[in-house]
Amino acid sequence: MLGAVFLLLLWPWTVIGQEKKEAQSLTVFAAASLTVPLQKITTAYTETGAGRVDLSFAASSTLARQIAAGAPCDIFISADKAWMDHLIDEGLITPENRRNLLGNALVMVAPLDSRGESASEDIQPALNLSPRFGLEGEIMAILGSGRIAMGDPAYVPAGIYGREALMSLGVWMNLRHRLIPTANDRLATMLVERGEAPLGIVYASDSHTSHALRLVAAFPQSSHTPIVYPLGLISDSAAVRDFRDFLFSEKASAIFTESGFQTIEFLSGNR
Amino acid sequence: MGKARLTVFGLSSMEMEAIQLSLRVALWGVAWSLPLAVSVAWLLARGRFPGKILLDGLVHLPLVLPPVAVGYVLLVMFGRHGAIGAWLFEEFHIEIAFTWRGAAIAAAIMAFPLMVRAIRLSLETVDRKLESAARTLGAGPADVFLSITLPLIVPGIITGVILAFARSLGEFGATITFVSNIPGQTRTLPLAIYTLIQAPGGEETAMRLVLISVAVALVALALSELLARRAAARLEA
Repeated sequence: MLGAVFLLLLWPWTVIGQEKKEAQSLTVFAAASLTVPLQKITTAYTETGAGRVDLSFAASSTLARQIAAGAPCDIFISADKAWMDHLIDEGLITPENRRNLLGNALVMVAPLDSRGESASEDIQPALNLSPRFGLEGEIMAILGSGRIAMGDPAYVPAGIYGREALMSLGVWMNLRHRLIPTANDRLATMLVERGEAPLGIVYASDSHTSHALRLVAAFPQSSHTPIVYPLGLISDSAAVRDFRDFLFSEKASAIFTESGFQTIEFLSGNR
Repeated sequence: MGKARLTVFGLSSMEMEAIQLSLRVALWGVAWSLPLAVSVAWLLARGRFPGKILLDGLVHLPLVLPPVAVGYVLLVMFGRHGAIGAWLFEEFHIEIAFTWRGAAIAAAIMAFPLMVRAIRLSLETVDRKLESAARTLGAGPADVFLSITLPLIVPGIITGVILAFARSLGEFGATITFVSNIPGQTRTLPLAIYTLIQAPGGEETAMRLVLISVAVALVALALSELLARRAAARLEA
């Protein structure tokens, strides 16, 4: 009887040994905002006959902490410099293995049926986002009793950029009490799509790929530090470098652009 | 409950806010679900009707489902555009999503199965002969319930309340998915700890909050144990 219980307790441990045989699969940790394009790119990659690629999406902060705690990961794509710098400081990524992959922009969005218009591609800003006197009043009028959905400015890159932008526009002091801080950027997008939040501050790429969002305004580039997605290698092997190079290839760039990201050619002076 | 601007026991206002919110959410969650829990427990213990197994399964669903899934279903139902949420807002101007009320509902639903089980167990041990005796003496069914059954199941109710309260204090997944993480409204102790460990350098404050959570839980459990003993003593008399 005791022997049976002992065996039962040991059984889960036998599974762990089997994981080492899956040498061919890569693990990529990436910011939540890259979900759509990266899934398409990995499908295209595996279709070329290369090995399997496993993707894990979450806020860059969550992923960086998991990597620092020893999570098995080969490539990390962060939504901001700070978390990549943190991992380099921890010695998990060497500076030579870091490159900037993508850029993005910050926009303010609203749910689609608030106006009943189709296509979120219309770039007719209904709100002029510049540091001017009436801006806060106009935003409050749109909000009514609702809140702005945005990544948590304490740790989500999209939220950090958002706070920066709202500060530079002079509306942070009052608007920070009217936020729904979400755990990652995609949750903010989801809340606006569902109409739970009348406004949201998300990446241009989210607004581009969503069919349920209306673009209200784009934040001026000068209102926040440039949004850059650095890519870093945690483990170095031919397979890892192969996938990394695929991410920089024309095919992948086309998929990124289609999802509303800015690829490396648009970014000036970056390495 | 007003906002604590002064520091009590050396706690910052952020910590006080999280504690007050956690207590408010847990207390109201338990208070709102208690009458329903007693009714459902009574139905499951005594009732004989088609679909009883279904009800039993439904009640135990929050125990089995991942809390995030429960939170998402709540968001769909009680959000501004949800089936129930829209009606509540239009008719009564009650907002549930992104408020402490929503957090209380989330906690209550996750703790409901625990409360029902404890009360049901207690109901099943009540000596039916006492109830029949009361009926033969001329008491109506409501009178029997209130004067005979209810006092006998008080220990079970207290156990259920303690379990539900403890579960509500620790509720995270359903809360953060349904009502998000809004300071002052829904950032209870577990959510505050989660936020702190996400940012570099927040570990120390997070540890403080963990210790505070332990202290709050211990005090609450000690108080309820005291209550349970008093109630048991009164029953003996």
